[in-house]
Amino acid sequence: MPGEPDSCAAGGGVPAGAALPGEAGAGSRPRLAEPLVEGTVDGVRVAVPRGATILEAARLCAIEIPTLCHHEGLPPEGSCRLCLSETRGSLAVSCMYPLRESGFAALTRSPAVLEARRYVLSLLVCRAPRAPRIRKLADEYGVSPDPRFMRDPDGCIRCGRCVRACRASGPEAIALCGRGFARLVTGPFGRPPEACVGCLACALACPTGKIAFSERDGVRRIWEREFELAPCPECGKRAFTREQLAFLGGGASALCHSCRRRLMARELGKAAALEAPGGPALLRAL
Amino acid sequence: MAGPDLSALPEILESRPADPSELLPLLTMIQGRWRHLPQEALRAVAARLSLPLARVFAVASFYRSLSFQPKGERLVQVCCGTACHLKGARAVAASLEKSLAVRMGATREDGRVTLESVNCVGACALAPVVMLDGTVHGKVSGPGAAGLRL
Ligand code: SF4
Ligand code: FES
Ligand code: FES
Repeated sequence: MPGEPDSCAAGGGVPAGAALPGEAGAGSRPRLAEPLVEGTVDGVRVAVPRGATILEAARLCAIEIPTLCHHEGLPPEGSCRLCLSETRGSLAVSCMYPLRESGFAALTRSPAVLEARRYVLSLLVCRAPRAPRIRKLADEYGVSPDPRFMRDPDGCIRCGRCVRACRASGPEAIALCGRGFARLVTGPFGRPPEACVGCLACALACPTGKIAFSERDGVRRIWEREFELAPCPECGKRAFTREQLAFLGGGASALCHSCRRRLMARELGKAAALEAPGGPALLRAL
Repeated sequence: MAGPDLSALPEILESRPADPSELLPLLTMIQGRWRHLPQEALRAVAARLSLPLARVFAVASFYRSLSFQPKGERLVQVCCGTACHLKGARAVAASLEKSLAVRMGATREDGRVTLESVNCVGACALAPVVMLDGTVHGKVSGPGAAGLRL
């Protein structure tokens, strides 16, 4: 699983059960209450709520803009620079650029955009030359690593998605630390993060599959730490760590996803039956 | 090495409001007092400001004026910015390394002095510039800098 990250699109990387707080998506979703503004993306006419980003407008037009650091469920950071597009004659970061008035005309594949994107990719591929997603993009754009920057190809592009995922749904146990070439995602003091609850939000949010984890014999290993997985009270499957359940608080249960869904369906069915004529009698008979 | 005496820490922490925006001021004060950021102090700052330790560490590790290793009692910073470089910062640096018996970027073993390079301290007209404990000394010459004894 760490080797094959999912797409960066909707809901990509945050596990169910680790609910995102309301503010997390703020800024990354068009505000539906806003009036519409009209314009074009690559010549295609589109109307979006004011404040929507170029990326959102492009997606409405089914025009693909490649992204890496962007995640629908997390606040945008604009750190990878892959999603560049052109507007008003200059380059813009599509995942952050808000469309505020009608008449916008964004270009997602102009020569300037493609040139800039190739350059960005030539840098990213130096950091994560083996990550499947990066390789695919590099192939697609015909880009090879710039040897001047091939210093430490550790597989991390410093996009910060892991950190934002941890902040949004976990204890913010990790951070991008240091600066320049030495910048690195790590726990405090460069040690395994003490606050980590083993929820995997970081690993699942990572676009390159840099954050390794494993599960064996009811023990999950991540960030050089070990976490015991609590058995699902229904089926015994182990889905959550004890630390994660304690962190979520409020008596969060270790129910696995499928049992959770099944029980909920049963409850909903009961409720629906109770509403129906003759329902209560029927339920008693069962 | 036993941890440093942090008995003065609570007073420092309480001298500023318990607000996340006080992070950098507090770290700077702690750096000034102990010449580095002791781990326990970072934990105390995180608790005081209700910030995750990871975020405190991220900020602490970003700024060059903050350090995790104790710096010397005296801090000598050679400007290697463009103007100072053109005016012979390299010779100044070399002569200071010799006269202070410490390598660039290091702290002398007796803990008396740290020698660092910085990039432009904003006094280019006085190039080449050396900062001694935060005070700018302009137009230092290679051999002249050697006169600085600590
Ligand atoms: S570990 Fe992954 S998610 Fe985190 S900064 Fe690196 S590439 Fe991005
Ligand atoms: S996806 Fe927009 S900058 Fe990374
Ligand atoms: S370059 Fe040394 S002060 Fe500006």
